[in-house]
Amino acid sequence: MAIELALAGADIDLILANQKGLIAIGAGLAVGLTGLGSAIAEKDIGSAAVGAFTEKEELFGKGLIMTVIPETIVIFGFVIAIMMII
Amino acid sequence: MLKPKQMRRVLFVGHKDHLEPTIEVLHDLHVVHIEEYTGEEYFSIGKPLAGVDQDSRMLLKLRSIANFLGIKKSYLEPTSAEKISSELGKKLDELESAVLEKLKRKSEIEANIKDAETNIHEIRVFSGIPLNFDLCRGYETLHVFTGTIKKGAEIEAGLNPITTDYQLYVGTTGTIVLFVPAKYTDEVAELLNDALFNEVNIPAMSGVPDELLGELKTRLDMFVKDLESLSSEINSMKAQYEEFILASEELLSIDTQKKEAPLFFATSEHAFIINGWIPDDEFETLESRVKEATGDRVHIALHEETVDEVAADETDVPIEYDNPKIVKPFEAVMNLYGRPKYHEIDPTTFVFIAFPLFYGMILGDIGYALILLGISLYGISKLHGEGWNSLFTVLIYCNIVTLFFGILYGEFLGFSLAGHVSEGHHVAGLIPGWETIELMHGLGDEMITYPVHRTHIITTLLVLTLLIGVIHINIGLTAGFRNVLVKHGMKAAILEKISWIVLQLGVFLLLLGMMGVVTSMLPGAVVFVLAVIMLVVGEGGTAIMEIPSIMSNVLSYSRLLAVGLSSIGIATAINTMSGMMFDSGGLFIVVAAIIFIFGHALNTALSVIAPGLHALRLQYVEFFTKFYEGGGRIYDPFGYNRIYTEE
Repeated sequence: MAIELALAGADIDLILANQKGLIAIGAGLAVGLTGLGSAIAEKDIGSAAVGAFTEKEELFGKGLIMTVIPETIVIFGFVIAIMMII
Repeated sequence: MLKPKQMRRVLFVGHKDHLEPTIEVLHDLHVVHIEEYTGEEYFSIGKPLAGVDQDSRMLLKLRSIANFLGIKKSYLEPTSAEKISSELGKKLDELESAVLEKLKRKSEIEANIKDAETNIHEIRVFSGIPLNFDLCRGYETLHVFTGTIKKGAEIEAGLNPITTDYQLYVGTTGTIVLFVPAKYTDEVAELLNDALFNEVNIPAMSGVPDELLGELKTRLDMFVKDLESLSSEINSMKAQYEEFILASEELLSIDTQKKEAPLFFATSEHAFIINGWIPDDEFETLESRVKEATGDRVHIALHEETVDEVAADETDVPIEYDNPKIVKPFEAVMNLYGRPKYHEIDPTTFVFIAFPLFYGMILGDIGYALILLGISLYGISKLHGEGWNSLFTVLIYCNIVTLFFGILYGEFLGFSLAGHVSEGHHVAGLIPGWETIELMHGLGDEMITYPVHRTHIITTLLVLTLLIGVIHINIGLTAGFRNVLVKHGMKAAILEKISWIVLQLGVFLLLLGMMGVVTSMLPGAVVFVLAVIMLVVGEGGTAIMEIPSIMSNVLSYSRLLAVGLSSIGIATAINTMSGMMFDSGGLFIVVAAIIFIFGHALNTALSVIAPGLHALRLQYVEFFTKFYEGGGRIYDPFGYNRIYTEE
């Protein structure tokens, strides 16, 4: 009986530890995947923006804005990750 | 302050005799934005004033000299224009002949160097062969093979069966010179072919290869030395004439600019018309100056109505900012996006407040603020030019705000200055004796303290940043309301801009309903639907697709917290790494110092880019899209900004 209880206690510890690990993995995924998403979007927009503003220099500001628009995705991911950890 | 400068359309009409003094005055005042005349009906485009050919020829000469001497724009003390123009002709001729002489010498030396190099290249193949080149040609009964063969080929063994009457020399590079009687030429050629013979022509020189090589090398050295002394001469010439060249270039540019000005004017046989724009407050000075210079013989006409009423011409009006001096540097930030249009609110002042505020909120570190303040103060004293000046001034504003937030957050290079409790343990701060004071409860279980530990009150700060976003966006919407009101009237303004504010109110009421503060969800739903109807009426059905955008706009302000946290993360990682190295003692202390210095140097660079770009983006994407179009024409008055000369 006592042994079973001790085992159950160990199980709970294990489960708790697992939960913490899973949270960390989740947070990592939130930042990593959103980062990838932002990066893929920004590489396309960025190259197009550079092309546009070599043709017409006034477009630099607009190009910059277009390029950083997808950055919001990773910011959201980052915020979610922090909220998961705390 | 919130509007671009008021512009008036102005017309100058006069006899061609008065053209020159008029141009003089306009150029001097530097306030009239001249519209180019392109029509071809009754009037034709004016002809440049006399002497422009000579001026532009001199200018061309001067620029090519400057190019040869490698003179770049630098910032020198201005010299007197009169002095320069009096000695311009003489000095330019003198300079030209000197430069031509140098140019000739330079190309001669360079040709010599090239010759010597090709000769060396040709002769080097024959090094180690103790024969004068003269002995290798000009025989009737002998045939001379010169060239390379396969490595290790034993041609002597093959030669002996053909003839023993031969003479073979092999050089250090494996080149052979083989003399055989002319009658055996074909057989020997066949033999050599098998050894992959590759003919090399004998250079058209006389002398033994090794001696020639030595000689050529000394000559080459001499030429290189000549070239070096010549370039030092050119450098001293550059130093001597730099001031003169820059100043006279400016002077001639001004002259040609004035003389070519009639190309923008409409002229008839005897009269000229200049059409342009002028800031409202400059008109009186201009009028009196022109009258004085021409004896009141040039008629100046002003469009009676102000431009506000000439809405059709709106896109044509050149835009000049009208901001207080302290806000001016932020015009560079605006120019990156585009100048305002004439009837739009000029948001430079908003950017002047919000940009440094956001930057400071994100960075908020005393250490980085001090480093960047130092860099920008140094930069502003060393680098001149309008672009650098605005950049560093903006950076100074931003980092003063950062310093304030740094004191509020109690952060220094990622270290906490005050002692605080983290996860049940007390962590000592950098300043002994300074302890964190608890002020009040924030959201959740969080405790708002002084100094504010950003990593401990994330939920509270998150909500705070979103609140800042709501305020910022609604300022934008209010400005948008004003812009649409001026352009399209009250109804459109309410439907297009106020509807968004109503929408936010609806969402807010719904949220209150969900949290149970308000007992019913109904009022929220009603307001929300009302806003959607207003939007659809105002902007069409596609507006429904835009509704979530306001939400993502507000959420986007969470970067004010998130980017700051990532900066703290990097700084803490650097501090932890170097701290661990430092604790190991011995040589590791050096490693710790290197990690600390390089790490924080890297993070300093990131501290300009990341908060800068994100603060900028919040202006451009979240704020400007609510009201700002941009794309106004640049006000480019006729005149010249003198740098190197003064009158």
